[in-house]
Amino acid sequence: MAAYLAKAGKKVVVLEKRHLVGGASVTEEIFPGFKYTVFSYVVSLLRPDIVRDLRLPQHGLTILPLESTLTPLPNGDYLYRDGDHYRSLRDIARHSARDAGAYDEYGRSMYHMAKAVKYILSMVPPDPTTLNPKDWLSLLDMARHFLNLPQEQLYLLAKLMTMSSADFLDQWFESDPLKGTMSASGIIGTYLGPRSPGTAYVLLHHYMGEIDGAFRAWGFAKGGTGGIANAIARAAESFGAEIRVNAGVEQVIVKGNQAVGVALENGDELYADVVVSSLDPKLTFLKLVDPKQLPSDLVQDIRAFNTRGSSGKVNLALDTLPDLACMPGNGRHLAGAISISPSVDYIERAYDQAKYGEFSERPYIDCILPSVIDPDMAPPGKHVMSCFVQYAPYDLNGGWTDAKREAFGDAVIDTLSEYIPNLKDIILHRQVLTPLDIENTIGLSQGNIFQGELSLSQLFFLRPAAGWAKYRTPIKGYWQCGSGTHPGGGIMGAPGQLAAQEILKDF
Amino acid sequence: MSDYDAIIIGGGHNGLVTAVTLAKAGHSVLVLEQRDVLGGAAATEEVFPGGKVNTGAVDASLFHDEIVRDLFLKMAGLEFIENPAALFAPQPDGRALTLWTDEQKTVADIARFSPRDAQKYPAFVQQVNGMTAVLRSMMLTPPPDLAALGVNDLAAWGKVGLQTKRMGSKEMMDFMRVLPMPVSEYLDEWFESDAVQGAIGAAGVTGSHLGARGGGSTLMMLYQYSGGFPRARFVRGGMGQLAAALATMARQKGAEIRTGTAVSRIQLNDDGQAVGVLLADGTEIRARVIISNADPRRTFFQLVGPQNLEPRFMRQVRNIIYRGSTARLNLLLNGLPQFNGQTSQEQFTGLIRIAPGLAYVEKAYDAGKYGRVSPNPILTANIPTLLDPTLAPAGQHLMHITMQYAPYTLHESNWQDKRNWLGDHIITTLSHYAPNLQSLISNLQILTPLDLEQQVGLTEGSIMHGQMGLDQLLVMRPVPGWSQYRTPIDNLYLCGAGTHPGGGVTGTPGYNAAREVLRALR
Repeated sequence: MAAYLAKAGKKVVVLEKRHLVGGASVTEEIFPGFKYTVFSYVVSLLRPDIVRDLRLPQHGLTILPLESTLTPLPNGDYLYRDGDHYRSLRDIARHSARDAGAYDEYGRSMYHMAKAVKYILSMVPPDPTTLNPKDWLSLLDMARHFLNLPQEQLYLLAKLMTMSSADFLDQWFESDPLKGTMSASGIIGTYLGPRSPGTAYVLLHHYMGEIDGAFRAWGFAKGGTGGIANAIARAAESFGAEIRVNAGVEQVIVKGNQAVGVALENGDELYADVVVSSLDPKLTFLKLVDPKQLPSDLVQDIRAFNTRGSSGKVNLALDTLPDLACMPGNGRHLAGAISISPSVDYIERAYDQAKYGEFSERPYIDCILPSVIDPDMAPPGKHVMSCFVQYAPYDLNGGWTDAKREAFGDAVIDTLSEYIPNLKDIILHRQVLTPLDIENTIGLSQGNIFQGELSLSQLFFLRPAAGWAKYRTPIKGYWQCGSGTHPGGGIMGAPGQLAAQEILKDF
Repeated sequence: MSDYDAIIIGGGHNGLVTAVTLAKAGHSVLVLEQRDVLGGAAATEEVFPGGKVNTGAVDASLFHDEIVRDLFLKMAGLEFIENPAALFAPQPDGRALTLWTDEQKTVADIARFSPRDAQKYPAFVQQVNGMTAVLRSMMLTPPPDLAALGVNDLAAWGKVGLQTKRMGSKEMMDFMRVLPMPVSEYLDEWFESDAVQGAIGAAGVTGSHLGARGGGSTLMMLYQYSGGFPRARFVRGGMGQLAAALATMARQKGAEIRTGTAVSRIQLNDDGQAVGVLLADGTEIRARVIISNADPRRTFFQLVGPQNLEPRFMRQVRNIIYRGSTARLNLLLNGLPQFNGQTSQEQFTGLIRIAPGLAYVEKAYDAGKYGRVSPNPILTANIPTLLDPTLAPAGQHLMHITMQYAPYTLHESNWQDKRNWLGDHIITTLSHYAPNLQSLISNLQILTPLDLEQQVGLTEGSIMHGQMGLDQLLVMRPVPGWSQYRTPIDNLYLCGAGTHPGGGVTGTPGYNAAREVLRALR
């Protein structure tokens, strides 16, 4: 956002409350010598045109490939998929020959689906309730785009938008480890299980990068996800933008119905023609401005906007490399993802506990070892491990306490130890983040990593609220540009880019 | 050449609606029903001596009044009973909530559970009825053929679009926002009381193998209220009298109806067109069009045969999610049960629902999800003899109890072994709310999902002819690309609940299918 506005010659200042930029995509040295990708940890969705427009590689962005996914199984077996396509197929075939046969067809279908939806990612959502001809043209154009798809793709897309990821995958596959691991992409950041309708779309959302992301696959940014934020910040500064950290905003100053500036927590006031909030919709509409200045419909919709956080994070500093029971020793598998997702039922049961307000005792965990990919992340011979965990409900029964946080951390370590026997002996330090911690540290309401669930009722012209999906707000000069706007979360950059386009149109 | 213009396979209520509509237009029609009784999953049978039991559907509030009028069903003897109480919901704490058709009475009753909910209830009723009005016109509009959008499709859906637009911008956006939502989230926006949420929201999982937190359950709930909310309407003489009225009218218009006549195959000619049917007794009957009221999987796998269809189409049919999860217990009682918290018998003249909260519904689903019967199931019951005493011998009462979830595919067990256990389980559950129930039972009938498949012919016991999830509605029903009642076989049509808009005693699939067939017969 800032980079695009500055590039267009505008005078821009970015105000960040914390001591570093990046929001959820930061790298921090919480334990001396060990750099944690504290929140988000992998990248794939970042829009290629943003990388190009902002010349991010010149500003230090390097993406290292994350090629493999290892799913260890409780019986000591595993499912291993990596960059070697035929080797992966052979491993899938060990579990089910039918699945190996369907794997490529599935990949092709998802490729087409992602290509079809890509169109929507780069458009500002039209408003179907207005009579504005521009909106109607845009809607008609969209209808034409989809109706021109081959019939089979059109219907598959409709299924994808409405099915559960478990049912969707059932149409292709039968083996537990493959379905379990694939269905996991459908639940990330949601408070839903793989059998909940609507999760198939999230599956696609995460697939998008593999098709169209700058890196064609999941990758790891050199220096952690903070590396991405830093590169964008350098780019913005190169265009003349100013970035201030430790500068929390208390309120947006509104005169009449016009935003004229912001009041900082330290009492300073800054004035500008345009104020843009990258915070989530709840903070943008209910905290930074006085809700009384907004139409009551909008306030009601934002209150109803679903931001239930469901994921936690465990970051570990390790004395040496973990040793997996199913694949002992050091190997290329440690440079990829390790996914604790042995079956759909496993993840569904993890959800069952969470939906009644408990954290999963046997959660879904997605781990990577950043220091194996990028040795700068830890001292020589030592390692960091980044574990994304679901489910940890924000509204835990009885609320989150220090004891509950440690119990949650223990559950994660216990689960991992079943597959990594030496884990408990090599942990030098652990950082456990609950959704409440995520909210308290980086401000995401209820710790929702997408600034609002990616469900059908919260996408496109309904994100974040009907009538206000075009990055504008009812207050003149006040704009929104966070993941809570179309097209949603993940390190994608699209909301900021689209919002910048809209703002520049208005200037 | 042809013996009839149209043969309809299956005398369920949709098949009969199609029959009357075609006969009324002057076509010669033959309806073939394999059972001895008409009505399919909306039949009334004398299961107990003198006891006329609805073995399938009980509530006729969804049946479209346009169809009643257009087919002159009142003249053929159809009579509805509108119940003063729509829903009676006993709670575990001994209280009971009643949703009356009289709004003031309902508001007063809800206030005992939550004054805030009581205050919001009238606005909720207004929103629901606004949305269901649009749904009702959608139900009578065949989904467009997206591959070849025609003028007819555009005009018909343009009308629905205009109706939606007339709701107002805010209401229209709400409509779009709300449909795909889980019913638990939607009702959270309105109500705080578990009793209110459960009583109203449990309708969102009717006949499906999904939970209250499943996306699309709000749409399903609205569908169940598409006859108006709150409402419960029965057919005098039992649900079977609807089929009887349709049959009377069909015969009056010259149609022929044969019961006890099973079709074993749909006959195709060398060009692959449907030309007739082969009966189980070996007789062949020919017709210009064949219309199947059986569900899609049965129609294509058993009656047509996979060898006559493209593998890609058959794969789609195989992928239809059925997953029946509904079982039925019918009771003949020596008196009226006494419910905890009841103040009058009038309270339970409509439906009686055990679903004290949406967490209760979700937990019931949790078990079903892994192939187990819910330890605390959702029960929807009614006692039709309260307002229609002729249904049972003097002094006795009938009680129909539908339970969920009873998954068709049981984990580590089977329905032959579990049938009697299931009956006890339902009675025990209901006895918590009506302690004298056990002592009143003089006879009973248990129908497991397997029984529904074997006796009524519902694939996997799915009472909706295929789950009504978002992914199996509109242009996706029964399979993508074939939502306009036609099939890949020339002259073969579908008219059952497996087609748009879906299950429930609405009459609309049969009515829409007939209008499509009329175009072909012209």
